[in-house]
Amino acid sequence: MNRRTALVVGTAVAVLATTAACSSGSSSSGSGSSGGGSKTYNLAFIPGVAGDAFYITMQCGIQAEAQKEGATVKVQAPQKFDPTLQTPILQSVISSKPDAILIAPTDVSAMQAPIAQAKQQGIKVVLVDTTLSDPSVAESAIASDNSGGGKAAFDAIKQLAPNGGKVLGIGVQPGISTTDARDKGFGDAAKADSKFQYLGVQYSQNDPAKAAQQVSAALQKDPDIVGVFASNLFSAEGAATGIRQAGKQNQVKVVGFDAGPDQIKALQDGTVQALIAQQPATIGTDGVQQAIKALKGQPTTKSIKTGFTIITKDNLTSSEGQAAAYKASC
Amino acid sequence: MSTASATDTADVAQVVEEPEGGRLRGLARLQVLQIVLLLFVTVAVFSILRPDTFLTLFNFRGILQNTSILAVLGVGMTFVIITGGIDLSIGSVLVFSGVVADKVMAAQGGQGWGTVLLGAGVAVLSGLAWGLLNGFLVAKGKVAPLIVTLGSLSAALGFAQIITGGLDLRDAPRKLVDKIGFGNVAGQVPTLAVIAALVVVGGMILLHRTRFGLYTYAVGSNAEAGRRVGVNVDRHLIKVYALAGLLAGFGGILNLAFFQSTTIGGQSNTALNVIAGVAIGGTSLFGGVGTVFGTVMGLFIPIVLQNGFIQINVQPFWQQVVVGAVLVAVVYIDQARRTAAVRGGSRPRLPFLSRSGSRTRKETE
Repeated sequence: MNRRTALVVGTAVAVLATTAACSSGSSSSGSGSSGGGSKTYNLAFIPGVAGDAFYITMQCGIQAEAQKEGATVKVQAPQKFDPTLQTPILQSVISSKPDAILIAPTDVSAMQAPIAQAKQQGIKVVLVDTTLSDPSVAESAIASDNSGGGKAAFDAIKQLAPNGGKVLGIGVQPGISTTDARDKGFGDAAKADSKFQYLGVQYSQNDPAKAAQQVSAALQKDPDIVGVFASNLFSAEGAATGIRQAGKQNQVKVVGFDAGPDQIKALQDGTVQALIAQQPATIGTDGVQQAIKALKGQPTTKSIKTGFTIITKDNLTSSEGQAAAYKASC
Repeated sequence: MSTASATDTADVAQVVEEPEGGRLRGLARLQVLQIVLLLFVTVAVFSILRPDTFLTLFNFRGILQNTSILAVLGVGMTFVIITGGIDLSIGSVLVFSGVVADKVMAAQGGQGWGTVLLGAGVAVLSGLAWGLLNGFLVAKGKVAPLIVTLGSLSAALGFAQIITGGLDLRDAPRKLVDKIGFGNVAGQVPTLAVIAALVVVGGMILLHRTRFGLYTYAVGSNAEAGRRVGVNVDRHLIKVYALAGLLAGFGGILNLAFFQSTTIGGQSNTALNVIAGVAIGGTSLFGGVGTVFGTVMGLFIPIVLQNGFIQINVQPFWQQVVVGAVLVAVVYIDQARRTAAVRGGSRPRLPFLSRSGSRTRKETE
């Protein structure tokens, strides 16, 4: 029996030692808090979810900028976009005493207190992409200007349908701050342009079938719609199906949001005619710069809004389009 | 204890302490020792690898906080599994109770203790209602516990989503969040951990020192023999599932305190994580054997592993692999020992897959 106990414990130790050995190559950090000009800063990045092209692209930006600054970055991501999974990861990261944490909070209120703990421990916090109900705990909050993204979507429709006409929004569901801002930005821009008539926004509940029904019903009522802005991938796919049902592929242009591999494929297939790409790499780069400024005691910018790139089939293969597409790995 | 005559209790004790039973209980104690040792070694390894960050007050507070809610759920699950049953629904019941409590607290208004107590009462009652339903269907409806609680896993989450429209609610009163979720008792001890410790100690007393606990072992180790000495097996099963539901409901208000959100999407693996902790802690899925203390130790292992892996910068995916390996290794060793202890007897079947939990027993096959 004792031999068996020893076996379990021995195996556990061996596994731990092996994984520890694996890890030792990936980061070489100089710990300790001694001051001095050539101090190596240890940064930590906690994305909203693992394996997502948007956050991977952001991570690439963070790592590149950190390397320039001579800082190290450790990345730990939850497996779902959920505060119950992100909180224990954040707590462990705080325990490991990095100089600064870049984090995409998975919930505006649930992550407030855990992030405040990081500040209490003397760690500088920078919010990237998503934010908190009270972002003042952070040195800086960097995110896409979602309302500007909606405006960019309208600009894309203007490019594709220069003669004007009726435009429709297909949203996900009301109550999501980012997509609400995109829809509003799109609506405001459309209302401001006299050549276009804004038909309002329909909510697809993230269901392509529902989006298809809504778009085909809208085309029954207003057969002369020229553009649809779908604020996420499923809405865009559903909108394209509804347009195909009505046989109006050539008349109605669909503009989608984000530029992950799935969205790029939809663009190549002709399901959507334009994509509004956020700039996750820029968010990451700015995040590192603000974190380092805060660590050096320099003033930081409390809120930074990053811009968008419009990708169409025409510029997809150009260097601009390639740079705007999200990456699956660095 | 008070109403049971001395002979009744002695009879039931005999059911539990059947010839092989004594040896099995000794083994359970040994396994708890083994798991404490494993936990100790894990902590020691991480402490050597990261002495300046792992062995800190802040870190241990974090580990305690992250284990607290699971420990509350683990107490109920230990009772259920000792009866030879299983409860997959606790994560959903936790969410449902949190949602109902949130709605009631928002309707009541106020940020003070009155609202908190009202919310806690509502959460516990909501959990209790689900537990009673589970217990009734298992004991009287004769549906296998796996199926009953798989059903309530789905239904409780569904109701929570119907009530909220799928969007998380965030109406936790400030007192609840500041004093319970992130508060401290006596300086640096998290309130959440103190509450969990009280529940755990209560569970230990209930399981090891009362007639209720004795009946729980009796139902799990030999339901028929228990019935013959006068245990009302059906009613006891209902009580045990009700206890698990009640604690899941209590977990709902604690969850609301800690996350300030009903975390509708975040609890899909909670029941499985708790069951893994219970199994690692030496409670047998065949029923009749187990301890609350072992469960708590078993729940610490995955949390400590995740914490340590993040500190030594291993991808968190590895934590799942290691926890899976530890789970199977520990239960395998337990099983091999048990088989040796009851040498000659046939291997018991998994009782929660059978018609009605604890009823099937190797002697009656």
